[in-house]
Order: sequence, then structure tokens, then C-alpha cells
Amino acid sequence: MKMHSLWGFFVATPLALTTASAFEFESPVRMMAGDHLVKVQSPGYAAPSWADVDGDGKKDLLVGQFSKGKIQVFPGKGDGSVGKGDWLKVDGKIVEIPGVW
Amino acid sequence: MDLNGDGHLDILSGSYSAREIKGMAGLFQVLWGSEKGFEKEVTPLKGSDGKPLLIGDPSNDDTMTDRICTRPTAVDWDSDGDLDLLVGNFKGSLFLFRGEGGGKFAPQSEDLKLAIEGYHSDPFCVDLDGDGDLDILSGSSNGGVQWAENTAGKGKEITVKGFKSLISEGSREPIWANQKAGPAGSTRVWADDLNGDGKLDILMGDSTTINSPAKGLSMEKVFLAEKEWEEKMLIMRTEMQNPSEDSKDQSKLRNEYNKLSRSRSEFLTSERTGFVWLYLGK
Repeated sequence: MKMHSLWGFFVATPLALTTASAFEFESPVRMMAGDHLVKVQSPGYAAPSWADVDGDGKKDLLVGQFSKGKIQVFPGKGDGSVGKGDWLKVDGKIVEIPGVW
Repeated sequence: MDLNGDGHLDILSGSYSAREIKGMAGLFQVLWGSEKGFEKEVTPLKGSDGKPLLIGDPSNDDTMTDRICTRPTAVDWDSDGDLDLLVGNFKGSLFLFRGEGGGKFAPQSEDLKLAIEGYHSDPFCVDLDGDGDLDILSGSSNGGVQWAENTAGKGKEITVKGFKSLISEGSREPIWANQKAGPAGSTRVWADDLNGDGKLDILMGDSTTINSPAKGLSMEKVFLAEKEWEEKMLIMRTEMQNPSEDSKDQSKLRNEYNKLSRSRSEFLTSERTGFVWLYLGK
């Protein structure tokens, strides 16, 4: 993995996992979009998903949030890293999921 | 995911609670994809009876926490060839809407009698243990990731006994802006092979509060100010627990409490946010 470098002092703590040889994971790192942390607006509640929404054959990072039900899209580069994000829009209008505020 | 099988990606989301529903209930919302791109409007997912899908029995107020803070995922739960809807909720339990093909779902949900540790169940199906069938991952209000092993085998209806910890719970305490900190609470999970190395990776969203000194204050001054503030708050809370019978005094005390509470921002700023954590598969 080339990207997802740590930002300043936001170094991840060691991961505590249940021991299971079939599925082990590296220590967690915060996802980065270029030089910026992937984060959501107040009050938080980041909800990630991974799918090709722009149809370029590479999966992208979508991050939902509680505030106004908006979704950020970070274009995937094909190697697990992502570029600068923007709000999910349709015809230039930011998509908002009803039922959150 | 392609919810209706038309060859175009759809975006499926849960929600906290719809304003137009009597009582409280989180609808399932879809941004349908088509050959022209996504539709302009997000629309509630409906059952085959034409009504918006709701978990459980909407007439029973006692089960309200089954119906709010919903989190759906589409999966062929029973291996019949069409997508079913596995849904989480505020309570932390799981329900199923059987698929009827083409993006249609049975109007009534089935209680799977399955729950995570904590609130805010967040199901996502993936073959975690590599045995060929789909297991269930879930985030939680407690943080971390839990999983339930499917013991049925490939081609059979998903059968799980219960959830256990995969990634340990996170801290729900606020962090300082310059603090080394790991994942926090209120997690949402996704899994895929992000970097194409053939191993399953996990994405986990969280929710946290980041504190910073206000107005360029040193950390030392902030700690002192916070200690003094907490002592005053404790005194005032004690007074409020033993209120005067005079309503004017009570009102004055509430105003003073609110003023003191707000004064925290004079030495401390707090940002509520959430990050996305990546766990690369080894």
C-alpha cells in the first residue's frame, strides 16, 4: 500500500484483534485523501463504503455522515488510495439523505 | 450495489427517523442509478405492497428502537438468487426483508433474534474466514468491529449464532488535537480488497470529539481552567439536585448553570467529527 500516510501526530495505536490466523490486520491508519485526512462534519458518525460510483473502473471511497445526510466521494486510484473528495452531487446539487439532520 | 438488477449502481442508505412518519422510524433511502446516471431525488425503498419499508410493527411504540437509526445492506441471505435486505437499527438487533427480485422486498421484516454488543447494529456481509460463505460484520456504538460466523456453508441460507469481537472497542473519551489516538466509538464498517493484494481489508468509520486550547492558551492553562470549571459545575449540579421551592430561584439557577456550561468555550474548543480507519489485511 503506497498511500494512507499518517498525518503529523495522528499515529495509530496498535490494533488489538482476536487471534485468528485466517484474518489478521495491520494496525489501523486514518484514510488520507492526498495530504488531507478523510473526515466528516459535526457531529461526526463517518460511514464508509467502497464502490465505483464514477464508472472509471476503479472503486471509490464514499463517506456518509449524520449532518444533513451528505456523502463525500473520494475518487479511487486503483491501488487503495484516494484523491481529493467532493460532495456527492446530482446535476450539481448536493445529495442529502432524508431522515438525518 | 445494484439493488434492482438493472446493471446500474444504486446507493442505499439508512436514516435516523423520517419526519413524515407517525412516531419514529428510519426509512431506507435509495439513490437509484440508471444509464443516465443517478436520479435527482433520493426515494424511500418500498415493499411489494407499495408502502415504505419499516422494521417490525410500526403500531407498537415499545419497539421504536427497532425502527430508528437504520443501516441496511443488500445480500442474497437465503441463496435464492435475489437480493434480500439485512438491516440494523438503534437497538443493535438485526432484521431481514426477504427479496422478491428486481428491487422488490417483502413488506414485513423478520426478527433474526440476533444482536450485537452495544447499540447501532451495522451489518455488512463478507466471507471473512475464507470458507466460501458470507459472514456478518458490524460496527457498534461501543466502537470496534464485531463479526458473526456463518456456519451454513456456501449456497445455503446464512446461519449465525451470535457476534464476537473482531476489532476491539474504541475509546469514547474526547481526544486532544495533538494526542496519539486510535479509533473511537460509533463505528460503521465496510470490507473489500482495497489495494488489490488479494487480502480482505476493513474500512471503519468512527465518531470522536477533538479538544483544542482556545485563544492560543497553553495546555497548562487549559488544564487549570478546566479543573476550576469542573469544580464549579459540580457545585452547581449539586445545588440543582436540591432545588429551592421558589420557581424564580430555580430559573435563576438554571440560567447560571447554562452560562457556566457555555463558559467552557472560553478556554477550550471542541470539534465533533469522524474519521475513516483502514485496516489492511495481513
